[in-house]
Amino acid sequence: MLRYLRLYGAFVRFSVGKSLQFRFDFFFRVFMDTLWYGQYLLFFDVLYAQSGTIGGWDRHRGYVFTGALFVLDAMQMTFFSNNIWQLPEAINKGDLDYHLLRPVSPLFMLTCRDFAVNSAINLLMALGVLLHALLSYPHPLPLVNVLAFVPLLLVGLFIHLFLQILFLLPVFWIHSGAGLRDLLWTMDPANARPAGIWKGWVRRMLVTVLPFAVIVSFPVRVLFEGPQPEIVLHMLAIAVCIGFVVAFLWRRGLRAYASASS
Amino acid sequence: MRPRLFLHVVGLEARKRLSYRFDFWIQALVSFAAELGIAWFLWQAIFHESGKTVIGGRTLDDMVLYYVAVILVAKLARGNLFAVAVASEIYDGGLNRYLVYPVPYLGFKLAQSLGTLLPATIQLFAFGAIFPFLVKGSLAHPTAASVAMGLVSILVAHVLYFVMQVCLEGVAFWADNVWSLNVALRLVSGLLGGIMIPLAAFPDAWQPVLAALPFRHVFSDPVEALLGQRTFLAWAGDLGVALAWTAAFTLVARWVFRRGSYAYTGVGI
Repeated sequence: MLRYLRLYGAFVRFSVGKSLQFRFDFFFRVFMDTLWYGQYLLFFDVLYAQSGTIGGWDRHRGYVFTGALFVLDAMQMTFFSNNIWQLPEAINKGDLDYHLLRPVSPLFMLTCRDFAVNSAINLLMALGVLLHALLSYPHPLPLVNVLAFVPLLLVGLFIHLFLQILFLLPVFWIHSGAGLRDLLWTMDPANARPAGIWKGWVRRMLVTVLPFAVIVSFPVRVLFEGPQPEIVLHMLAIAVCIGFVVAFLWRRGLRAYASASS
Repeated sequence: MRPRLFLHVVGLEARKRLSYRFDFWIQALVSFAAELGIAWFLWQAIFHESGKTVIGGRTLDDMVLYYVAVILVAKLARGNLFAVAVASEIYDGGLNRYLVYPVPYLGFKLAQSLGTLLPATIQLFAFGAIFPFLVKGSLAHPTAASVAMGLVSILVAHVLYFVMQVCLEGVAFWADNVWSLNVALRLVSGLLGGIMIPLAAFPDAWQPVLAALPFRHVFSDPVEALLGQRTFLAWAGDLGVALAWTAAFTLVARWVFRRGSYAYTGVGI
């Protein structure tokens, strides 16, 4: 474990050096994510102008949900996204070979190697939005709710990460990741809507098999409604199950992997 | 660029797109259903919880038809610039080979970009033919004439979005990595062009801003023309404005490429 922490520290140092070389990219990406925040705030503002509640949440709760969404996305972008986007190419072009030969987990290398320093700046902005939303929330939020919310948002982060990997792993067999990547990007907004809007079998699907609706909405529910055991256990069970599926498919994928011809 | 060569490049790119059949079917069916489903559940919740039957001049059925149209139109208007790869060719020196081709670079790229539209065009006709029978909107009255007007608007919208993207991709002559600028364009145009929310649902204070920006001509106007919600004169006026925006961005793109070619080293950055 200590070895992995030291390794991650080295990844962060290299990433800082790299980001200082690509200065335009650094600022463009900060700008892009800032625009994304503006886009979502305006989007929800327009929607709440039409309806007092969306998915059972009023404007104040919607704002907290949006802040939590920004924080989760910024963490995702900071720690994992640069790496995940390169996963299909690494498999197709045979770059995976180099990771398989190293004396560390290849999945760790592939998901953690690039730390996005620019997104870390956006993480600070996202935390600012969330903090503002929490401070302007008109009702008291018990400390226990906040203490349960924070680790559950981290569980949500890992569920999101596993879902992304799950959508990309079929590239071991189908060789083109573009269609599944597009599908992932199309489905991802499902985690950016309050879970209360989903009904029927779609809701059941989005909180179990494809748990996009769990990622942000469930931690935010805990923040408002308290740490109900069924929500906490549900999120943990989803994270463990999807983690096992990813590990299983990863092992099967490695068996199908044929270096550059994959 | 000679029309025959232009069409040949379009055909080559179209064949390339159709060769990835798995991607085609995923994008055609699953992605479309997912995108429409997310919009449908959101608006169903808003209509239900607000108690309104009409929002932004549209009933829930009208809203569904709007999203069907805007999802399909957006695929055609945006195209697939990743496949055309202007910035990466500047960045890695791939632009070199076009400098010796006897064709204008941007014309060649536009032909490639149009070629990537074949899968989305098939989707437009397939789903566009089905949905008006499944969902009866009170505002949508598509006719042969409105479909023809819509298709012309989509073509102009694609060229307009292409030149906007090329202006941003051209920044690659000076900067190392510009993909985030295109994502920024996608975000802004998606919201202010009417993909995320129909423009009529925006508050009144926003309407002059939305009218002054070019994004409505890329998504909202072609959709309304396609659904028969525009008179011929209104459509022609909007088309004229869209063409003026296209001409303006084309001038900017040409200027960027002329200036950029002085900075281009031929070996990438």
